[in-house]
Amino acid sequence: MPGRRNWAPYLLILPSLLFLALFFAWPMFRALTLAVWDDDGRLTLLTEAAQGSGVSGYLRQNAPVRVLARQGNPVAPGDLDPATMQTEVWFRLRAPLGAGGDVEGWAPETRIRVREEAPDGTPLSGTVRRVLASDADPQTSLLAEPRPGSEVVAKLDANTAVTILESAVLEVWFQLEGEVDGETVSGWAPSRYIQVFGDGENGRVDRGNAGVFTPEYIQRMVNDRFFVPALWTTLLLTILIIPAQFVLAIVMALVIQARLKGNQWFLYIFAIPLGVSDLATGIVWFAVFTQFGYLNTILQGLGLISAPIVYLSANTQHWIIIAIWLAELWRATSIVMVIVVSGLQAISDEVLEAAELFGASLWQRIWHVILPLLKPSLQVALILRTILALQVFAVVVALSGGDIVTVLANETFRQYYEFRNPNVAAAYAGFILLLSMVTSVVYLRLVRTQEEAAG
Amino acid sequence: MTTTTATKALPVAQVSPEVKALHEKMLRRQRLSRALTYALGLGLSLWILLPIVFIGSMALTTAASVRAYPKSILPFIPFSFETLRFFLNSNGIVSGVINSIIVAVITLVLSTLIAAPAGYAISRYFFPGRDFFRLAILAVRAFPIVILSIPLAVVFISVGLFDSVYSLALMHTALTLPTTILVIGSVFASIPYELEEAAKVFGCTPFQAFRRVVLPLVTPGIAASAVFTFVMSWNEVFAASVLTIQNRTLPAQVLYTLPQSSEPYQFAGGFFMLVPSMIFIFLIRRYLFNMWGQVSK
Repeated sequence: MPGRRNWAPYLLILPSLLFLALFFAWPMFRALTLAVWDDDGRLTLLTEAAQGSGVSGYLRQNAPVRVLARQGNPVAPGDLDPATMQTEVWFRLRAPLGAGGDVEGWAPETRIRVREEAPDGTPLSGTVRRVLASDADPQTSLLAEPRPGSEVVAKLDANTAVTILESAVLEVWFQLEGEVDGETVSGWAPSRYIQVFGDGENGRVDRGNAGVFTPEYIQRMVNDRFFVPALWTTLLLTILIIPAQFVLAIVMALVIQARLKGNQWFLYIFAIPLGVSDLATGIVWFAVFTQFGYLNTILQGLGLISAPIVYLSANTQHWIIIAIWLAELWRATSIVMVIVVSGLQAISDEVLEAAELFGASLWQRIWHVILPLLKPSLQVALILRTILALQVFAVVVALSGGDIVTVLANETFRQYYEFRNPNVAAAYAGFILLLSMVTSVVYLRLVRTQEEAAG
Repeated sequence: MTTTTATKALPVAQVSPEVKALHEKMLRRQRLSRALTYALGLGLSLWILLPIVFIGSMALTTAASVRAYPKSILPFIPFSFETLRFFLNSNGIVSGVINSIIVAVITLVLSTLIAAPAGYAISRYFFPGRDFFRLAILAVRAFPIVILSIPLAVVFISVGLFDSVYSLALMHTALTLPTTILVIGSVFASIPYELEEAAKVFGCTPFQAFRRVVLPLVTPGIAASAVFTFVMSWNEVFAASVLTIQNRTLPAQVLYTLPQSSEPYQFAGGFFMLVPSMIFIFLIRRYLFNMWGQVSK
């Protein structure tokens, strides 16, 4: 359509773009940030006990702090979370003031003894408590706002009867003093971020309210005692699986391509594992390799062994690797086979017949004609299969219990599920992503340099 | 490989004995290579089928014979639903099956609804950015799901959607969407555009042409892709295990109970998960190359 841009295709792909942005691109970004970003790694200290006042400094999570002073501060109703914050309640009161009439103002709950409550527990009226300390101001101040230090509206004597108009929940803020990199900083922060110890003066920063970049999760992943074994097993499995899989898939594809009678059945049977989950595959091969399973039955039936061998134990890790290798070959060769078959179908019969006529043997035909023509299909299959092999998971769990032999995806799962540590899990996930991307780039590069060398 | 070279049309009487001998030799070689190919095919079929027979005969027998050693090589002796029934009566299995079906159906519907327009667009229009879109879809397909589940779990927890079949279905839709788009695209591409044009020439509006001509032709292909989407969701275990705790799907439940479960339970579970996939692949076998062959291009 010359001249005018057609918007229809863009509208048609819009839903999928939106969905993938929301449930693919964004989580992917989150995964990478989770691995290096501590969401509550530092606590912002403010110059005054009020939201929006100036920043006086930062404290790290877990930093020891001293509480210098405390004071209540209004919180937004939705922000109220009594489980994590220290709160105090203030009342708005109406009190008689001599002959001049009534006065209204705020006072802390601790200064009022509630005498009358509504059925639902709302305080209605009360009296001003006596101030016990001998050196303190015997009168209770009524303030203009529910905040210490605001303007004093009136002073009430003890036992004055007051009407309670409303109550407000205030969050206690602490004035803190702590150290960052040897320097002392101090400032105000809400109590919900601080864990105060028994003495009421010392404490620690329980969590921060701002994110901070941290290499900690990656360090923890690398120092995890399962990291190196998992990495090696994953790489070893990938290296063992991929070549064998491609040979097997090409053989299967050639059998299909021979167009024998009953070809449809061969195709279906070869394709069955396409629909089989990795967990089911693991269980299927567990039935073969378990101590009283089929492999031992067959071997003993043939007289090769006299007693069942234990294959899947901590002492026979090589057997576990072999079992995983066979299971993955069994399961994931189908997809390569299908890709290769459709690649073969794109090769014209004339080319193959010409090769045959010129007396090329089967091996020569495969090596010099079919494989070069299949290269684009093989490349795609190679990248796809490598990436899938790097995240092999349920087969390993089913065959090794996920402990004796472990892989990267399994460690991701364990960090998240058993150790409840999404950040380290995200570091593992990011590491798998990195490996996948590196291998894809290497494959593409290798193919290109070969082409350049050939051309 | 063993293309049938023209043998029937030659008038045999006129050829010389040498040619005839050569011919015989070629025929013999061809027969031999066909026999070899058959043997290879049967061997490979056995390699695929034998483990399935093993697990099937473990699942459809008594618990006693599951524990017996050596196993009987003849399958299904004695034939019984005991292990399968034991598995299905175990805690969380029936609800797991129901959850799995709910997740898979939601995934199927969402994925097909979102993917169909996109598949139509990439097969019917040439627009700037089309190749980039295809490439992006391929890249998404190649990315590991392992990476997606962890942050999605964190996000779902923070928005209160955690541990629900719906959040898992959203995740599975993201997972299957690229494949579905490419498959549906190739289904549309297999219908010649001329048909649509002809319908328009005969007075159909574009929508009518689509509904009356294209839709009936693509429906089987789209149905096959939907079945495949179902299978992918039914099989998926990593994200399901990360994203659900109370509402586990069947694979997640089996994985969770695997370490402390007995062998009859495991084998029956493996078989039970495997059977629907086998049936579904059988149903869509004609479309397999549309599914995966095209996707790889």
